[in-house]
Amino acid sequence: MKVCPTCNHQYAEGDGNFCVRDGTPLVAAAQPPAAPPHSPATPLQAPPQAAVPQGAVPSVPGQMAGPQPQPGGQGGPIAGAANQFGNLQQGAGQQMPQPRAAAGAPLERLKCDWCQGTNESTALACRYCGAPLDIKNLVSDSGWREAPRIRDMTEIHFGRSTCQVEGEIVPVAEISLGQGDSVFFEHHVLLWKDDRTPMTVMPLQGGMKRALAGMPFIVSLAHGPGRVAFSRDATGELVVMPLHPGMEVDVREHAFLLASHHIGYSYVRIKGLRNILFGGQGMFMDRFVTGNESGLLILHGYGNVFERRLNPGESIILEPGAFLYKDASVTMNVETQKLSAGFFGGTGMNLARMTGPGRVGIQSMYVHHKTD
Amino acid sequence: MIGAPTGPKRHYKCPWCGQAGEGTELTCPACGASVDVREVVTDSGWVELPGIKDMARLQFGRSYCQIEGKYVPVADVNLSAEDSVYFAHHLLLWKEPQVDLSAMSLKGAWKRLFAGMPLVMTQARGPGHIAFSRDEPGEMVAVPLHPGQAADVREHCFLVGTGQVSYDWFQTGIWFQTGTGNDRETHYPLGMFMDRFFCQQAPGLLLLHSAGNCFVRTLGPGQTILIKPTALLFKDPTVQMQLHIEQPGGYSSSFWSSWTMRYLWLRLFGPGRVAVQSAFKHMEDNGRYVSGHSGATIHQW
Repeated sequence: MKVCPTCNHQYAEGDGNFCVRDGTPLVAAAQPPAAPPHSPATPLQAPPQAAVPQGAVPSVPGQMAGPQPQPGGQGGPIAGAANQFGNLQQGAGQQMPQPRAAAGAPLERLKCDWCQGTNESTALACRYCGAPLDIKNLVSDSGWREAPRIRDMTEIHFGRSTCQVEGEIVPVAEISLGQGDSVFFEHHVLLWKDDRTPMTVMPLQGGMKRALAGMPFIVSLAHGPGRVAFSRDATGELVVMPLHPGMEVDVREHAFLLASHHIGYSYVRIKGLRNILFGGQGMFMDRFVTGNESGLLILHGYGNVFERRLNPGESIILEPGAFLYKDASVTMNVETQKLSAGFFGGTGMNLARMTGPGRVGIQSMYVHHKTD
Repeated sequence: MIGAPTGPKRHYKCPWCGQAGEGTELTCPACGASVDVREVVTDSGWVELPGIKDMARLQFGRSYCQIEGKYVPVADVNLSAEDSVYFAHHLLLWKEPQVDLSAMSLKGAWKRLFAGMPLVMTQARGPGHIAFSRDEPGEMVAVPLHPGQAADVREHCFLVGTGQVSYDWFQTGIWFQTGTGNDRETHYPLGMFMDRFFCQQAPGLLLLHSAGNCFVRTLGPGQTILIKPTALLFKDPTVQMQLHIEQPGGYSSSFWSSWTMRYLWLRLFGPGRVAVQSAFKHMEDNGRYVSGHSGATIHQW
């Protein structure tokens, strides 16, 4: 038995001396090669800090969040990479004894700061969300973190399927659906699909309410095997959010591009007449909930997307049109700021106060709404 | 924080804003332009705006502004207690609760109301963070103003100005009329008004948003150039403007008048700086016979 030291793929003795995937010379398998942290067919296990966003410590202003890759990022152990499986290295980049890997290559993994997924040490982009692993996170002094800019042609894996992100100005999410997998989406974001990719309609509750609220009456499902691609109609970024079991995310209506079938889709009514009238996003928000399985949710944010983690009770005031997503634990209330101009009455600014705990995502090219 | 250099070993002058320093930072602390990056100049003489690096910091007073994002950049201002900024209210993206907002009254509210310009400027006082962005892809243009310096900005291109920068506005004087009698319409290709920002004693910072990319050139005395009126981003007050119309011969016939093949140009006269944006708005023109204008020149092919 031989194994590729780069991708851990196993080969029989007669299979040649090089890995057919990456060309690396094969070595004798001293022990059964380590399984990848979670294969495409195996749902991503939620690390505790990702599954429970409430109360998480925000990024320290002025510092790069999370572990920093080594210069060049072309492999090698990463200082401070978290140990999710008990056999990874910890500490300040030192080669520590491997308690569970007595022989063979050390099992080095890169932890993605964006989705907390673990990746092979040679990976340049996260397998689960596409975030580049070899460049620093960009965190502003005020604590907003830029959503990772996914490189052109990056592949993201979920279930038995893959998503390839194509383009950078108005990126396209091209999904190669595996057998048994499916994704759902609003019909107007579909860019193209294979002729034979099966489509169905997802049954939704409250169809009349949705129709009256301007939300999509029908949500479509594309089933594997087959290819299907999605994009929106404006410059922006894809926000790839692998959802771990037990997560609930609220998304601005019409901002979601697609979600895998493992994710439960519903909607929540925005409470309060003021929030509905002046919140800039209608009566409903989409809510995505995971049960026991992980899933993949992809949003499209206009312009650039920034995320901030609010502590319990911490508030930030947003232009309502900038809101993109939030954890369900974050509350939203619209406040009016009057700006008087004497005889002419002035104007009023309706702003959304978001209160933690949890994550808040905003888009810099906000959806403009009228003020009074 | 950027302090005054003491005994500089190397003299560096920012080619974009003229700020002198040691050039030890990655970006110019006054305008965010990358240090030691060669200017990109077209063969025709337009200088491409030096892109502001993501997360670059711009210093003003005791405060600073961080530019975030690439497609639709955000100006994230960290205001100290002594400083303030002003902006049109629809440009606010987010703010910390402790940042205080108030209205800055403007003269000529009636005229501004009719011209579709913001009736009030909103003023924000520190301490705290407040951020601004526009609703279209483009570039952040930092225009540091030195004492005695001014800049004329086309309407709706202004993002935020610091408290040291005074704000005024003036009539563009660029218009033409179509139709006659009760059917007469007046058109303002550049808008009725332009914003004028100037610094009297202390230096200030002006942030503009350019739709698409921004290009700048300096016109010599008497030198002219024709640009699309809606492509103008800002200019020095010394640059004069004139409307210029070009159209095919025989344009006034009923056949041609059903087409809007007329070119409306803004002729700019030096000396001074002129900046244009590459994604200009479409100009409404009904194509009808021009019955009056603001001293425009007309050329038929």
